[in-house]
Amino acid sequence: MATTVLDGPPNMAALFARAALTSRGRGGDLPETRLARHGVAVEPAEVAAYARICRFPFGDALPATYPHLLTFPLQMALMSDRAFPLALPGLVHVRNRIDQLRPIGLGEELDLEVWAERFARHRSGATVDLCASVSAGGAEVWRGRSTYLARGATAPEGAPEADVDVEVGVLPPATITWRIPDDAGRRYAKVSGDVNPIHLSGLTAKAFGFKRAIAHGMWVEACVLAAVDNRLPDAFTVDVGFRKPLYLPSTVTLATAVREGGWDAAVRNARAGTDHLSATIRPL
Amino acid sequence: MATTRKAAIVGGNRIPFARSNSAYAQASNQDMLTATLDGLVARFGLQGQQVGEVVAGAVLKHARDFNLTRESVLGSALDPRTPAYDVQQACGTGLEAAVLVANKIALGQIDSGIAGGVDTTSDAPLAVGEDLRRILISLNSAKTVQDRLKAIARIRPGMIAPEIPRNAEPRTGLAMGEHAQLTAHEWQIGREEQDELTVRSHQNMAAAYERGFFDDLVTPFLGLSRDQNLRPDTSLEKLATLKPVFGKALPEGAEATMTAGNSTPLTDGASAVLLASDEWAAEHSLPVLAHLVDAQTAAVDYVHGGEGLLMAPVYAVPTMLARNGLTLQDFDFYEIHEAFASTVLATMKAWEDPAYCKEKLGLDAPLGSIDRAKLNVHGSSLAAGHPFAATGGRIVASLAKTLHEAGPGKRGLISICAAGGQGVVAILES
Repeated sequence: MATTVLDGPPNMAALFARAALTSRGRGGDLPETRLARHGVAVEPAEVAAYARICRFPFGDALPATYPHLLTFPLQMALMSDRAFPLALPGLVHVRNRIDQLRPIGLGEELDLEVWAERFARHRSGATVDLCASVSAGGAEVWRGRSTYLARGATAPEGAPEADVDVEVGVLPPATITWRIPDDAGRRYAKVSGDVNPIHLSGLTAKAFGFKRAIAHGMWVEACVLAAVDNRLPDAFTVDVGFRKPLYLPSTVTLATAVREGGWDAAVRNARAGTDHLSATIRPL
Repeated sequence: MATTRKAAIVGGNRIPFARSNSAYAQASNQDMLTATLDGLVARFGLQGQQVGEVVAGAVLKHARDFNLTRESVLGSALDPRTPAYDVQQACGTGLEAAVLVANKIALGQIDSGIAGGVDTTSDAPLAVGEDLRRILISLNSAKTVQDRLKAIARIRPGMIAPEIPRNAEPRTGLAMGEHAQLTAHEWQIGREEQDELTVRSHQNMAAAYERGFFDDLVTPFLGLSRDQNLRPDTSLEKLATLKPVFGKALPEGAEATMTAGNSTPLTDGASAVLLASDEWAAEHSLPVLAHLVDAQTAAVDYVHGGEGLLMAPVYAVPTMLARNGLTLQDFDFYEIHEAFASTVLATMKAWEDPAYCKEKLGLDAPLGSIDRAKLNVHGSSLAAGHPFAATGGRIVASLAKTLHEAGPGKRGLISICAAGGQGVVAILES
């Protein structure tokens, strides 16, 4: 296992382009490479812009989803590399799990490390987990695990079954309604750097098989966390299943219920009631 | 209806005050108030608990923040079933909020409450000009495309510039500092005594930080652990180099004496104070630092009545003293809000002036002078800065702690001047 330490964040737009150009002829096992960055400091103005767009309060603690923004470019670099067996265009984010071991301070220097694991068989293809670990002062403070589905791909011989479902109990009727404008993807792309074309415009989304632009799953997850932010323990796990794509613009509802010292939550289409996202949040 | 009881001040919390467009440039009023409430909640172990009421406000407030305090409560660690409301009395907001909470406690309507205030001059609400605003409203109500186009056609490039809130009186068009400079001139307040008061404010506050006085009053925020405006090493010599910044309205030949040093700068920050009945404090094993004994407001006719804009507290204090059978000298500590050094000096000079006390205040004898050694002993707004609505909470918590440290039976006077020619004053007792 080799760890490559990068000096700065990779250029996301370039990674998307490289991934698209080199998508053919991929295969084989997951690379054992790990990518890392050390001593990463966040920029308060960038955190504030992110907080505003997800409705997090801006203060001394990083939003629990923020470290994902730091580690995602590294994961992108891993996935866009030729050694990665699955083609990045067409990968669908189906599940995200975050463990916040303690709140991270705005001024803390962070060490990031990402890797890929759990190449698994799925009924409609194969899944892979992109993992991330964030440490401060030598101790792990945050873990992330994003599961991506590659439709039509084949997992290697002997691969385990994919595990993509997040079950929530029955929820009371939703009281929160969000009107999501058609520029939600562009706005989130600006603060997150996630410029995946499926989020940016109807035209670019169509090129990848979506009828309209779709919202970033991680943005919707952040909005859910922000809605209960002040009622979360310091250490918790949030486990999110991304279901039907959230087409832009849309009106959605958020239903929540207190469960096992944490929360169950679901984001659904306000009219059709289809599930966009289900989440469980539990104390650690 | 039960008889009244004195409301106890249990403690306070604030974030360090930041200079405008600096450390808190990205923080909204709601961010700062929420962080301040959470700091107070953490300090007194109120996580998930209800208090009777949270009362706070901001002077510069976005229209979307109509329910600022309630929204902050909903985003805080307090029980979401805690009621809250907003108040606004310019720079008197924070103290007025404390008085309102204390009065409800006194009447037995609530047993505990939080009073606070917040202001940002960095994330200030911008308004479009009046002409453009009217066009946009008619555009919004236009029924046909034609009507809409007509409305849009009335927009001129010159209308696009936003209106930035100014620290000026709507009725006189004069900045607060210009008003204060007029008063300083009227009372012959010299440059040197203003600078002396300023140096003392910085030195007193720096010394208070040094000995840890603010350790349980201030929670660091966004990288600040002390008030950003505080200059422990300032001196008369340094202040003397500053040029006057007000004086446009002075008569010919009059000396402008107010500088950026002896006036408070624009500041961002928030404060909160926990008040309760003695019983509630005891039940929660929390201390009682002091009681809020009485309060008084007053207003002056600074527009047509020939009185200085910031002189209202001068009127409020004798009314409150008479009701409590006290003299101006019956206090161990005085907290006179340093909107400007000259304001504090003019206030004290007015109370010493026999003619003014007789003619304006209707008193037989002047209130007399104040022992300067008891004035703003831990510094005030010249050193800390003055995020308008947050100043009252800063002063109430600091004075309550000062009285508590001095021992039982000590008495303190708070005097805060406010825009619109208003003043809020109060008595605290340990």
